[in-house]
Amino acid sequence: MAGSAGARLGVGERRSVNAVMGVVAWIAALLFFFPVFWMILSSFKEEQDANTSPKLFFSPTLDRYSDVTESTTGLLSFREAFFNSFWIVMVSTVVVLLLAIPAAYALAIRPVPKWRDVLFFFISTKFLPVVASILPLWILAREFDLLNTRLVLMILYTGMNLPLAVWMLRSFFQEIPRELVEAAEIDGAGLKGQLASVILPIAVPGIAATALLCVIFAWNEYFYAVQLNPADGSTIPIWVTTNISTRGDFLAKLSAASVLASVPVVLAGWVAQKRMIRGLAMGAIK
Amino acid sequence: MASVQFAAATRFYPGTPQPAVSHLDLDIRDGELMVLVGPSGSGKSTALRMVAGLEPLDEGAIFIGDRDVSGVRPRDRDIAMVFQNYALYPQLTVAENMGFALKQHKVPKEERTARVREVARVLDLEPFLDRKPKNLSGGQRQRVAMGRAIVRQPQVYLMDEPLSNLDAKLRVQTRAELAELQARLAVTTVYVTHDQVEAMTMGHRVAVLRDGLLQQSDTPYALYHEPANLFVAGFIGSPAMNLLPCPSGQPIGVGGCALEVDTGVTSLLASFGGDRVVVGFRPEAVRVGEGPVAAHIRTVEDLGSEAFVHVAFDHEGEAVSAVSKMPAPFKGVTGDPIDVRFAGTVHVFDPAGARIASGAARCAT
Amino acid sequence: MRQEPGAALGTAARHDELRRPWRRRLPLLPALVFTVLLTQIPFLMNIWYSLTDWTIVPPSSRRYIGLDNYGDLPSDQFFRDAAWVTVVMTVSAVLASLVFGTLLAVLLDRKFLARGIARTLLITPFLIMPVVAGLIWRNQMFSGLYGVVNWVTARVGMDSIEFVSRYPLGSIVVVLVWQWTPFMMLIMLAGLQSQPAEVLEAAKVDGASPFGTFRQLTLPHLRPYMELGTLLGTIYLIQVFDHVAVMTGGGPDSTNIPYFVYRRSIGGGWDFGKASAFSIVVVVASIVVATVALRVLSRLLRGEEIA
Repeated sequence: MAGSAGARLGVGERRSVNAVMGVVAWIAALLFFFPVFWMILSSFKEEQDANTSPKLFFSPTLDRYSDVTESTTGLLSFREAFFNSFWIVMVSTVVVLLLAIPAAYALAIRPVPKWRDVLFFFISTKFLPVVASILPLWILAREFDLLNTRLVLMILYTGMNLPLAVWMLRSFFQEIPRELVEAAEIDGAGLKGQLASVILPIAVPGIAATALLCVIFAWNEYFYAVQLNPADGSTIPIWVTTNISTRGDFLAKLSAASVLASVPVVLAGWVAQKRMIRGLAMGAIK
Repeated sequence: MASVQFAAATRFYPGTPQPAVSHLDLDIRDGELMVLVGPSGSGKSTALRMVAGLEPLDEGAIFIGDRDVSGVRPRDRDIAMVFQNYALYPQLTVAENMGFALKQHKVPKEERTARVREVARVLDLEPFLDRKPKNLSGGQRQRVAMGRAIVRQPQVYLMDEPLSNLDAKLRVQTRAELAELQARLAVTTVYVTHDQVEAMTMGHRVAVLRDGLLQQSDTPYALYHEPANLFVAGFIGSPAMNLLPCPSGQPIGVGGCALEVDTGVTSLLASFGGDRVVVGFRPEAVRVGEGPVAAHIRTVEDLGSEAFVHVAFDHEGEAVSAVSKMPAPFKGVTGDPIDVRFAGTVHVFDPAGARIASGAARCAT
Repeated sequence: MRQEPGAALGTAARHDELRRPWRRRLPLLPALVFTVLLTQIPFLMNIWYSLTDWTIVPPSSRRYIGLDNYGDLPSDQFFRDAAWVTVVMTVSAVLASLVFGTLLAVLLDRKFLARGIARTLLITPFLIMPVVAGLIWRNQMFSGLYGVVNWVTARVGMDSIEFVSRYPLGSIVVVLVWQWTPFMMLIMLAGLQSQPAEVLEAAKVDGASPFGTFRQLTLPHLRPYMELGTLLGTIYLIQVFDHVAVMTGGGPDSTNIPYFVYRRSIGGGWDFGKASAFSIVVVVASIVVATVALRVLSRLLRGEEIA
C-alpha cells in the first residue's frame, strides 16, 4: 500500500524534526507565493503608491479594477477577452479529450502493434518549436479565412495539448485492471460500452488531471494568440499585455489586470491539486 | 449445452521461444467439470483464456460444440468467465454487476431483474443486491462473480482460480458448494487451479499441464493410482509421492531391503532395457515402527486425524528422506531412531519419466 | 501459419475477428490524423520556404535557391548566440527546478501544520500566465526603481541593481525556475507517495539513517519520475518565448532560438526564407535531442513491461 511515506511519525521520531521541516516548508511556501501576493497587493494600490519604493501599508482602492474592466470602444475589453478565452479553452479541451480517450484506449487497453512508435510520434510533435510553424500556420489560416477567429485557436490548442493528453491518458488507462476490461468484453460490451461502464469511471481522476493541465496550458498561451489574433478573437493573455504602457508607470493597473487574468486558472489549480498529484502518482509514470 | 475441444491448440508469447501452450489436444464433454491443473507457468490459464477468446491461437483450433470458435470474439462465444480477482465492476451494485451482460445483450428489464433475483436467491446474495463491491467481504464478492456468470446461462463456464483469494476455511467450504452447484446446473465447466487438492476433489476429470504440455488427462482416481509420468506422480497427492532412484535389476531394493512385487510388475520390468529406474511409494505405502530399514525421524506432522512422519535412511549409499502416513496419535520425536517398511502400491518409472509398471509390493523380510 | 484442422469436422468458415488489425487501430485514427495534418503540413511548407529566397522587406519573388539559406547559417553569429542561449537557459532552468522541486517535495511529504495550504501556495507560480510572470518579476521584483528585491538588498547595504538589464539571461532563468519548480514538485511528490511504506519501514528496522534511506532507497525509486520531469520540462522550456518577449525584448544575451526565429520572420526581419531554414535546422537538432530522449523514454516504457 502506498501512502505519504514520510507522513507517519514512527517510534522515536521527534516531533521537533517534523516541526522544523514544517517551518522550512512554510518559509519556502511564503517565498514562492510572495510575488503573487505582491501582485495582488499592488492591484489595490493607487498608481503613486505602486510606482515608488515598496510599500506594505497604503489605503486600498478598487479603482484599478474598474479602470481595467471598463470597456473602451476600439480597445479589447476584459469581458470580450474573457469570453473568447473561455470558449476557446473549453472547446479545445473537450475536443482534446474526445480525441485522446479513444487514442489512449488503442495504446493501452488494446494496444496496436506499434504503440511505442505511435507514442513517440505524438511526443515528437512537441519537439518542434512553436515559432517554427507559425509562418505556415499563419498563411494557412489566412487561406481558410481563419485569422482573427476563435476557431483557429481552438484548432491549434487542440493540437498543442493532444500529445500530452494522449501520453497521460494512456498511462492512466494502463492502471485499469486488465481483468475488468476482459470481463466487460466477455459480457458483451464493445468499445463504447467498455469505455462507459468500466474505463472512464475508474479513470476519472486521471482524466481530471489531464484536463486541468490542458486548461492551464491553453488559457495561458500567448504566442499563437498574439500572432493570429491581433484584433478580434483576442484572448486574456493579449488583453493583459494591452495594459502595459511604454513608460511602465501604470503598475497598479497592470497588477489588477494580471490578477483578473490569473484567477480562473489559479482557482482551478487550487481546487484540483489533490487530483493532479493523485493522477500523476497513479499513472503518469508507470 | 456444449462440449469443448482443443485441437492441437498452440499459443506462443512474443519473445519467448517456448510456447505457452503447445499442441494441446483435449476433449471436454458436455456437462463435465474439467479441471486444468499445474504449477505456475504451466499454461493452464493461457489455455483457459484461449477458450474465452482472450488469447488468440497461433496454431490449432478450439471448438465449442460443433462450432470452430478460434477466430470468434469473446462476446460472441456464449461463454461466461469467473476471474481470480473477480473483476467486479466497482461502480455498479451487485444487482447491476450480475445484470451487466444481460443488459449488453439487450435482455428486457423485467426478465433481467427476474433472472438476477433468482440467481441471487440460489447464492444467498439477496440481502446484498444494492451494495457495491467495495462493501462486500471476499466470500461475498466471490459469489457475486459466480452469480454474474450463472445468470448468463451460457454454454460453457470458465473459471480462473476462483477460490484462490479466499481464506483456507472458506475455500474448502466453497469448493464443495461449487461442485454441487455445477452438478445441478450441468453446464460444461473448465476450471483452472494450481491447487491439486481442489483439482482432485472437484473435477470429473483433471488435466495436468506442465510447461505448456499436457501430461495426463484422466479421472482423479486414475491420476492418483495410474500416473502417466514422474511429474504427475509427484504433483498429484499431498504429501508428494516418495521417489527414489534404483538400479533396475531384480529384485528392486530400497534402503537396503529387497521388495517382493507382483508378477505383473516383474514381467514389465523384465522387458525394460535401461539400467536405472525411479521407484515411487505414496506415504500410505510407507510404514514406520517395525521393518527392515533403519532410519531416524526428521520431523513429525501430527494433524490430529493422521500423522506424517518424515524419516531419513540410507539408500544406495546416500541419505534420502521419505514421508510416511501413520495413524494419529504418533509417538516419536525428531531424532528418534525408527524402523521403516514398505507395503503397498509401488510405481516404477524409467529415467525419462514415463511409468513402466505399478503393483503391490512389500519388503521381503 | 494457421492450420485448418477443423475441416474434417465440418465447421463453419472461420472469420478471424480476434486479430483484425484495423479494428484495433480505428480508435487511434482521429487523434493521429488530426496531429499529422496539423503538424506535418506546416513542416513541409517550412521546408519549401527554406529553399527559397522569400523576403517581405524588401519584397522579392519567391525564387527557388536550393540550399543557399542553409549555407549561410554556420556563419550567422546571431544564430549561434541564440543556440547557446537556448542551451544555457533550458539546462539551467530544468536542473534548478528539478533540484528545488525535489527538495520541496521531500519537505511537503511530511505532515505539518496546514500542509495543504502551504502546498497550495507553492503550486501557484506554475498556474500564472508566463506573460504575467515575466511582467511581475520585471516590474515589481527586479525593477531598479521600485523592485522588492532591491528594497531587500538595500537593507543590507547593497546598491540597487537593475537586474533585468544587468543580468538578462539570469533574470529570465529565475522566473522560469520560479514557475517550473512547482511542476517538478508535483511530479516528485507523486513519486514519493507511490513508494510503498513497507520498504521504508523495513529500512528503519534494519537500522538505516533517514539520510541513508533517502539516498539508497528513495532516490533510485524517484529516478523515473525525475526522468519524466526532465523530459517534459525540457520539451516546454526549449520553447520559451513569452518570458523573453516581455522581460528583455531580445538582446544578444537573452535571445533564445524561438525568439530569434520570431524576430527574423514576422517579428521584424521579414526574411521568411532564412527564418524557415533556421526552423528546419532547429527541427533536425530537436530530432537528435529527441532520439537521445527516446532512449530515456524507452527505458521508461520498458520499465513498465517489467513492473
